[in-house]
Amino acid sequence: MIRPAPWLLGVGLVLAGPATVAGQGPGTPWEMPLRAGPAAPAARGEARLQFAPSPFGVAVTADGRHRYDVRITAENLPDPATLGPYRVLLAWETPRDLSTWHRLGVVRNGTSLVGTADHNKFLLVITAEPDSLVTTRSGPTVLHGMSPSGWLQQFLTHPLFRGMSQ
Amino acid sequence: MLLLIALGCTAPLAGQDHAAMGHDHDGMAMDMPIPMPKGMVMLPGLVGLTPPVAPFLPGMVADPAGLPSARPSQVVALADGDTLDLTAGLVARTIRGRTYTMYAFNGQVPGPMIRVARGATITVRFHNAIDLESTVHWHGLRLDNGSDGVPGLTQAPVEPGGDHTYTVRFPDAGIYWYHPHVREDIQQALGLYGNLLVDSEDPDYYAPANREQALMLSDLLVHHDTLIAFGREAPDFALMGRVGNVLLVNGEPEYRLDVKRGEVVRFHLTNVANSRTWNLSIPGVPMKVVASDVGRFEREEWVASVVLAPAERYVIEARFAEPGRYPLLNAIQAVDHYRGEFEPQVDTLGWITVGSRPVRPDHASSFAVLRHNTDVTAEIDRYRDQFDRAPDKTLHLTVAVSGLPLTTVQFMSVDTAYYHPVEWVDGMPEMNWLSTAQQVRWILRDEATGAENHAIDWTVRQGAVVKLRLVNEATSFHPMQHPIHLHGQRMLVLSRDGVPTTNLVWKDTVLIPVGSTVDLLIDAANPGAWMLHCHIAEHLGAGMMATMHVVP
Repeated sequence: MIRPAPWLLGVGLVLAGPATVAGQGPGTPWEMPLRAGPAAPAARGEARLQFAPSPFGVAVTADGRHRYDVRITAENLPDPATLGPYRVLLAWETPRDLSTWHRLGVVRNGTSLVGTADHNKFLLVITAEPDSLVTTRSGPTVLHGMSPSGWLQQFLTHPLFRGMSQ
Repeated sequence: MLLLIALGCTAPLAGQDHAAMGHDHDGMAMDMPIPMPKGMVMLPGLVGLTPPVAPFLPGMVADPAGLPSARPSQVVALADGDTLDLTAGLVARTIRGRTYTMYAFNGQVPGPMIRVARGATITVRFHNAIDLESTVHWHGLRLDNGSDGVPGLTQAPVEPGGDHTYTVRFPDAGIYWYHPHVREDIQQALGLYGNLLVDSEDPDYYAPANREQALMLSDLLVHHDTLIAFGREAPDFALMGRVGNVLLVNGEPEYRLDVKRGEVVRFHLTNVANSRTWNLSIPGVPMKVVASDVGRFEREEWVASVVLAPAERYVIEARFAEPGRYPLLNAIQAVDHYRGEFEPQVDTLGWITVGSRPVRPDHASSFAVLRHNTDVTAEIDRYRDQFDRAPDKTLHLTVAVSGLPLTTVQFMSVDTAYYHPVEWVDGMPEMNWLSTAQQVRWILRDEATGAENHAIDWTVRQGAVVKLRLVNEATSFHPMQHPIHLHGQRMLVLSRDGVPTTNLVWKDTVLIPVGSTVDLLIDAANPGAWMLHCHIAEHLGAGMMATMHVVP
């Protein structure tokens, strides 16, 4: 049996550490902390993902992407009019390469069910906008966060996997 | 080894055709003791290791040349009071030109489809002609407890060469199935499964269809010309369950169906795989879901695909309006735990060919209507006053491990930042293969008492309505979804993570994603000692089971 070098255990523990520290990673696949944007530094919020309604309990697209209802709980959100010519705060779903922006729904202080997200990994961005029907994001960012799946990490090149048989 | 690492880093997995990843094992990246998806490397610290159990394959002492060839399933229509002889035996099965020694009921894969009228009672004389102890469990039926087929709870296991007689009654219309309840990880994977189709006395129970098809979905794990051996003393693949790389519909790798233009086909779908959850679709063909485990939904719904966890059943109706060839697909997003990315995978399970001649009668108008089954709603209404009360019982779903290879432990410790709520394929085949039920203990833990698995021995009164909360812990060593099955009763899925279910159906198996909390309402109407367990065969083999006694 091939034995690992003793230092590897230490590497593993060090790597494992951040994932278990509160605030560093999601406690479940459903929780999505949100960070304030510079336009609204006092804003606080979090999003919770839940499978969208489905007769199967687990909601997916035909190609297998999970479909999540996004519920945002926020406080200290600014009046959008104080940020410029804006009337609403809108939530958007965008993949990590920001190639497309899917408008979800209006966000208010308290809890708002804003719509359904279905990217494997996505960013959730809340911006101030002129109205709730705009199709492109134009206003300042108030809150933003990353889907829990964004915590999936690339491990292949890590020494943990190179040193085992040396 | 560095070369292998480099290959693993550079091989473009994203967007690859899954025909080269799982369904077609000719695309394997390298010669490993188990098949590895293309581009995936075996972790250096695991090279050369094997599961700490003796290998087992069926019929090791049998001459495959002398075995009968497996035959397709036949429908056996039985009337109330009839008797069926059912033998589990060895067969030779040829899949993609390669012949394996496997199991079958009455020489058929799937086993005979037993078709009966609701309310019937039949006798099944079971003979065990395989080389393992066995039983027959009648999945989903609210039958008499003595015939439930659970060794150590309702009967002694049937030794090789032995017999057992079951009295099977069918109180509910719908699609059910039968399978062994001993080492399901081996016996079910190798062909011991069959459907039970129970017809309602109501001719309008379902909307009209031109044809019915029962599809039993399974998979098989093979490497080159051989089956991957099973653990003799205990199941291997204990972490995630055995996920096969040859996908099968009714035991065959390529499903075929010819229909006329405009046909409405009612598909009775049953997932008999050890661990795989499916996402089935027929692109370009409208489908609606009409029923599940123990009857119809309150309301039919249009669906783009069908999610089917182990042991679940769904009844789907599809209309093929235009001539052409339509694929039956399984499309999922796999998690590549090494690269930290999702990988789309699409397997073509078969083809449906639609001819140009129109079907008669044409059910287009009735198919266009989504029915609201008011009788189902009315019956469920009797239970609604129980929906909002506090749970009677809460079970936590978790896992404990000991003695796994250090590399596995280390990798898992760094891979805990995120777990997908549903793992659709085996994203870590070598670590999974090396884990056995001697090292992995999947756990049901009673929140009130701390009792685990076999030590959970609830007693409830017959006629009670039990609210059960299942909490699938997201912070264990290896969180995973669990299809939880309750024997002999029916249940409603009231809510998921606090969100009420708005279209109810009676179930016997419910999928609990990672990190989810699901509330169930159990109609404890059927007396006896009944198992509640995870239907991933290896999780069951690793202890994930409890008992509920329903007493008069």
